[in-house]
Amino acid sequence: MVATRFIGWLRKYEKWFGLTATVLISAGLYTGLVTSSPDYYQGEVVRIMYVHVPFAQTAMLAYSTLFLCSIWYLWKKEAVVDNACHAAAGLSLFFTAGGLITGSIWGKPTWNAWWVWDPRLTSFAIMFLTLVGYLMLRTFLDDKEKKATFSAILAIIGFVDLPIIHFSVEWWRSLHQPLSVSNRGVSIAPDMLVPFTLMSIGVGILFSYMLMVRTQMLYLEHLLEAKQGRLLNEGQL
Amino acid sequence: MHFFRVIRWIAWKDLLSEYRNRENISSMFFFALNVILIFSFSFSLDSETIKEIMPGIIWVAFGFTAIIGLGKSFLIEVNNDCMEYFQTLPIPKGAIYLGKFLGNLLFMLTVEIVLFPLFVLFFNLDMIDQFLQLLLISTVATIGLSALGTLFSALTVQIRAREVMFPILLLPLSVPIFIGAVEATRGVLNADAFSLYSHWIELLVVFDVIFVIVSFWIFEFILDY
Repeated sequence: MVATRFIGWLRKYEKWFGLTATVLISAGLYTGLVTSSPDYYQGEVVRIMYVHVPFAQTAMLAYSTLFLCSIWYLWKKEAVVDNACHAAAGLSLFFTAGGLITGSIWGKPTWNAWWVWDPRLTSFAIMFLTLVGYLMLRTFLDDKEKKATFSAILAIIGFVDLPIIHFSVEWWRSLHQPLSVSNRGVSIAPDMLVPFTLMSIGVGILFSYMLMVRTQMLYLEHLLEAKQGRLLNEGQL
Repeated sequence: MHFFRVIRWIAWKDLLSEYRNRENISSMFFFALNVILIFSFSFSLDSETIKEIMPGIIWVAFGFTAIIGLGKSFLIEVNNDCMEYFQTLPIPKGAIYLGKFLGNLLFMLTVEIVLFPLFVLFFNLDMIDQFLQLLLISTVATIGLSALGTLFSALTVQIRAREVMFPILLLPLSVPIFIGAVEATRGVLNADAFSLYSHWIELLVVFDVIFVIVSFWIFEFILDY
């Protein structure tokens, strides 16, 4: 019942999320790539940041969603919550890979290296490996409940480990620029802040939209498998 | 009292079975010995360079040893059909985890203590004076490795391709242990003051505390299946 209500809610609101994401990302790309001025030091290269930063932020949002859904699954054991976990993990991997690739493209002209062992880069690389491990673990398990529980455990352990990984690499070596927006104030030009904000919110909503659609797809697959299993038992297939 | 008795029994059972067949410790030891030999063939180093790369070599050897040893931790229970007994026994499930963790910790520390003289021998190192500091670093790093390794051993033992999945899951999440242990060991080998590398030991302790508690809490969900 909870699952049916939840899927009904997703169907009702998903198009609004998709529409809002399209509008915000279009406006963000236009202001970021056309109207905003190039950076004093970085020149035109700074424009990659309008994609890189929202991707990196959304990757973290997606992993946080995976973490919360994993706790929720261990608590309630709802199949649809496991579908949401699976969807969030795939999307988190997509945004993490996007963040790493765009960061690497930005790093070459700026740091003169495709890759450096910087805390944020290393944390993201390890988050990427953990997510690959998560999805591999799911493929190697056949029993649905075991698959959902074991992968939820891995997601929780990985989430708890990420801040420690970050601190350990930060002490080891640090190269990344400090946060541009923090509780100490904003250190970014206003015509750059507009596309940053639009893209950050837009990609965040795009993630929500993709999560809604993917969760529904996985839930339908789950229902189909359950139905096929029942028909098989009844000798109708 | 019951809780601590369960921990002691499980650890004792593992130690006794290991004492009788010596399967785990001997495979861990000879595997690590092979790693050390390959490293000593691969590099011909002067005393300064050796201090620079030695911490990495030590912890690569210990990391591989952990993969060999910890991966098998729950395999013996599955092969002897003991997982069902663990599931049905009226005992706290976290105590089973802590017992297995304690057993693994003792295996790994034993292998590491035996391996240290071999590092001295093959790489002509002068680290006898710093043995206590090295023992401290090894202990705190191995607690973290055993905590995660025991949990992932229980998690992967029931799945297909467990030999592949165990290192894939364990190694990325053990990164803080390896960074902390390598940096602290480097401090010891360079004969630095304790205060210069003590923050790495603190990081390892934080990791240990968090992961023993989280694994203890989460183990019950694994044993349900």
